[in-house]
Amino acid sequence: MAMPGTLDSANLNGGQKLAVKYFTVALALFGAQIVFGLLAGIQYLKPDFLYGVLDFSVNRMVHINALVVWLLFGFIGSSYWLLEDEAGIPVVGLRLGNLVFWVFTLAVAVVVVVYLLVQIGPGDHSTLWLINEGREYIEAPRWADIGIVACVLAFFFNVAATFAKGRYTGIGGVLVLDLIALFGIYLAGMFYTPNISVDQYWWWWVIHLWVEATWEVLVGCLMAYGLMQTLGVRRKIVETWLYIEVALMFGSGILGLGHHYFWIGTPEYWFTIGGFFSALEPIPLVAMVVHSVFDSGTHNMKNNNHPALAWIIAHAFGNFFGAGVWGFMHTLPQINLYTHGTQWSASHGHFAFFGAYATLVIAFFYLALQKWRGNVWMSGGLAGAWRWKWALGLLNLGMVGMVMAMLVAGYEQSQIERAIEGSSWVGYFVAQAHPWFVQGMWWRQVFGWMFAAGFVLLVWDLLTLGRGERRPAQAHSESAPR
Amino acid sequence: MIEPVALQDFFLTFFSAAMVILCGALYALLFAYARVRRRQRLMPLAYLAYLGLVASVLVLAMAANLFATGFWTFIVMLMLIGYLLAPHAIWHLCVGTHAHDHPDQESGPYQKQS
Repeated sequence: MAMPGTLDSANLNGGQKLAVKYFTVALALFGAQIVFGLLAGIQYLKPDFLYGVLDFSVNRMVHINALVVWLLFGFIGSSYWLLEDEAGIPVVGLRLGNLVFWVFTLAVAVVVVVYLLVQIGPGDHSTLWLINEGREYIEAPRWADIGIVACVLAFFFNVAATFAKGRYTGIGGVLVLDLIALFGIYLAGMFYTPNISVDQYWWWWVIHLWVEATWEVLVGCLMAYGLMQTLGVRRKIVETWLYIEVALMFGSGILGLGHHYFWIGTPEYWFTIGGFFSALEPIPLVAMVVHSVFDSGTHNMKNNNHPALAWIIAHAFGNFFGAGVWGFMHTLPQINLYTHGTQWSASHGHFAFFGAYATLVIAFFYLALQKWRGNVWMSGGLAGAWRWKWALGLLNLGMVGMVMAMLVAGYEQSQIERAIEGSSWVGYFVAQAHPWFVQGMWWRQVFGWMFAAGFVLLVWDLLTLGRGERRPAQAHSESAPR
Repeated sequence: MIEPVALQDFFLTFFSAAMVILCGALYALLFAYARVRRRQRLMPLAYLAYLGLVASVLVLAMAANLFATGFWTFIVMLMLIGYLLAPHAIWHLCVGTHAHDHPDQESGPYQKQS
């Protein structure tokens, strides 16, 4: 056994060793997301930048695809991280899990290389199968789609078989059911139909039902585990809240899908359904705020991993503001008519994805780091703690700055391009040339660099925090019994 | 089915919609904090936040033409009643889930109150 404070795989169980591989790739893809986001941002300001070499369409696609995939790697890694702890036995089929990790990573690398070097094809079936499927956000070619489904089925087998053979906790039960929905719904984005309304109808099943239902439930499971690990909250409490939040999330989120069906050629009753359930969607987020106040009050914020808890708190607030406040501001059809697809949507998307998902995956990076170093002290008085605090501050301030810049630009677009110019092609360019839009894009770029600086600090911190630390982790004031 | 927001009401719509959620959260937070810490003097502030929510919902309803049809008026009523009752329901759930830790409700920091 190595000295505490050094990275040693002997400190980890089998599932956790696999998890840190997923976390490593997730972090690299997070970096790629930022790089391609910055490049796309520069192209808003200087449209001829890299024109013909790496066009805006390619940069934007890689930026968004990297986001989806790094979060997916983060979620899969986090699930492997808690699997043996929860089930109480080694991961069933771990060799398969390791093989799938390498296959999955290789497939992602090939897809990215094709995106960057081949970029476009003749627009026939060979393009769809080998280069780019053409569906926004899920552009991966068909071979990769099938590969993703195969890989995640193997992941599902690992999780379900381990819980089935071991102990089914509340977190485990919700996680298994959620994974069925998570990967089953992905199939809805894979079949071809020549009718664009029908195509969009099913495409939203992947985009919305992943993000506003299955991903939210998945992070609910991770949050429950994270609260037990950092604050020592009792299992009974987090699992009861998990059930409540799952019920509220699915109750409001599934038919909240309707707010994406307002303008794609679907029947008018979707205004009613989308409006009703969109008004309900913030309720689980408000419930989380009350619950977090309650738990923080009863535990007096005493915790054993300050960076992880700080990111969990960032998650609670980011989820509330990004998904709840920013979503509800433009979700009713009476106003969404003008905002849909403008920078307003981009502002909401950035805030919600970062607040709800990126923050919690980063919290798991810190949970993993602590145990990987031998379950060392990560509470007050930690050497080099300024790095994680500055990384936290720069990433969050950078994101808020980008969000506000896009909000201003989106407000101008909804007024000029949509309301005044009637969504015409001329209106699009008039709005793009308006000072509010141009200045918004400049400020977005400035805060993007701040965000990138935060990422560099985060990586540095993850490589160094706790190195040489000899003190064991702070004990909880109460245990988390099973 | 819907009457779009007038151009001059855009800002009012965005702002009031944001205030609905913010006042709702502030109401829920103050409500929970007042009971966790047994600070009853904070409770009027919680209901003041709810009044802010009521005002925001009404402004949103007028700016977004929600009183134009029965269905959207029902949505307005749902928001007003739902946000009033939700913190109470969530509070009872909090107390219920923590009851195992603190069976003696009288001596706990979050004595059950009606």
